[in-house]
Amino acid sequence: MISVMKSGLQTSVQDYPGRIGHMSLGFPPSGPFDSWSFRLANLLVGNPGTAAGIECQFLGPTLRFEAPAVFAVCGADMSAKLDGVPLERWRSLEAKAGQVLEFGAAKTGARTYIAVSGGLDVPVFLGARATFQKASVGGVGGRALKPGDRIAMLPASSDARAGREVRAEARPPLDGVRRWTVDVVAGPHDDWLAPEAIAMFLSSPWKLSGKSDRTGFRLEGPPFAFAAKATDKPPENGSDPSNIIDFGYPIGGINLAGQTPIILVSDALTMGGFICPFTVPTSSFWQLAQSRPGDLYDFNLLSVGDAQTARQRLDALCTVDSLL
Amino acid sequence: MLVELGNEMSLDVNFRAQGLALAVRQAAVAGVLDAAPCFATVLLHYDSDRIGYDDLQREIARLAETMAAAGPADLPSRLHYIPALYLDPWTRACIEDYAAKIAPRGYDAEGIAATNGLADAADFARVHAATEYWVAAIGSWPGLPFMMALDPRCRLSAPKYNPPRTVTPQGTIGLGGSSTCIYSVESPGGYQIFARTPVPIWSAEGRLRGVGDPMVRLRPGDRVRFLPIDRAEYDWIDEKVKAGAYEGAVVDYHTFSAGKYRTWAKTVAP
Repeated sequence: MISVMKSGLQTSVQDYPGRIGHMSLGFPPSGPFDSWSFRLANLLVGNPGTAAGIECQFLGPTLRFEAPAVFAVCGADMSAKLDGVPLERWRSLEAKAGQVLEFGAAKTGARTYIAVSGGLDVPVFLGARATFQKASVGGVGGRALKPGDRIAMLPASSDARAGREVRAEARPPLDGVRRWTVDVVAGPHDDWLAPEAIAMFLSSPWKLSGKSDRTGFRLEGPPFAFAAKATDKPPENGSDPSNIIDFGYPIGGINLAGQTPIILVSDALTMGGFICPFTVPTSSFWQLAQSRPGDLYDFNLLSVGDAQTARQRLDALCTVDSLL
Repeated sequence: MLVELGNEMSLDVNFRAQGLALAVRQAAVAGVLDAAPCFATVLLHYDSDRIGYDDLQREIARLAETMAAAGPADLPSRLHYIPALYLDPWTRACIEDYAAKIAPRGYDAEGIAATNGLADAADFARVHAATEYWVAAIGSWPGLPFMMALDPRCRLSAPKYNPPRTVTPQGTIGLGGSSTCIYSVESPGGYQIFARTPVPIWSAEGRLRGVGDPMVRLRPGDRVRFLPIDRAEYDWIDEKVKAGAYEGAVVDYHTFSAGKYRTWAKTVAP
């Protein structure tokens, strides 16, 4: 059992890959935003990468272990301490019953992941333990953690031991980055933009707005020009050039709502009526997850095939071969 | 992968989208994780380790070809009566908040009335409530219905918010393009908003009564009729809902005839 003493900012239980296969009921995948750090944390404690753990955002929680556990902290540096003693990220550690794991604000990056051996035991909803707050499902009571919550742990794997470490080259390079090169693929609606708008999008730095969260990442930058397809269309689309008859949104789609690009991330809506001229592949989600309002993105165009290769490369890093 | 079946909002295109999604599920195409139909499209979520983009495209084209050219002639279709307080205080407050914090705008019902050649907000509310709606898809947020007006005389159109709202009250009824939705949970949103229903259309705890599924009130192929109510009626229903005593008003003995609908729609088309 783990007790929550302080909640931090929107701290939640997540599992990987989250709630898959229910978009036509209105459920996004949810799950850890930076699944690279999340999976490594699980592997460190002897879990499969999929097991339920904790996602901290910007300001971490204070937790007490009610039973001994092997645990690991990966992702952003939130000055984690065990009973007041600073601890290292990217390695498995042992906690005794009664020890307190405490986090502060993120010094670099934005999201930190905590895995415990065995994984967290919260109810499964539509195939996943991931929290989806908009629908009040998954995790602990379908919400962010609150002081007083007690979270059960599943039996620890016999493989769990302290002293494992993630190889330096297998860690996401997130520390100190404030300007990110993020992959995109074209489509599904790149042909609704004027050719010069595509060039503009790919050559401009985009600033992450403070009005961003797990449902969407709003970007600030220059305005878009549109192709005839966007302006000459039946009225049921809606008259603004960015308006289209509602359709299923791809995960990572860069939704153009009027003139505001919004990246549809882990808890985003699954359908809607704004075009998506570009899509961020899931292999780049860790960069979004670790960026902070005011950070800049430069988008790098990839083919669908190259994006799939990038995802395979990332998956290959999320294995026990990445551990020392 | 997004499969586009048309660029129009019609019953026939929606039948094709729903039909293709069903065919994909029934064929259990290896590597396809999800098939999400909407008005005129199907979004496919697939595992590229199990099926490549080109192979999936071929497989979908094959399924689309073998699908019957016409949709079903007759199908069972539930009719839901959903009480709605048009020109309600909550969507007004939401618009005022947006106008103060994000971008200036007037009340949505007035704007939609003006651009659709209607006299005023009350006239718009009358026209919006004067038709049955076809539930073309569920999605966006849990249980949220995407609907189109079945009576061609009530087909309205409204541009979506630029930029979208960061918040919309649960139960808000909105129009974007020619699609009407009911916001199932408090969420961001881009549709123009002008009414609210006290009736929950999604329940995480499975507390819906009077419908087959205790979590999701509506499903594709259902129809919705909005019943304009006043504030006193809204509050009365809201109390019943909160007490767990509200039963949905659902008619479950109709057969929807697509052929008869097409013929009728032609006779009344403006």
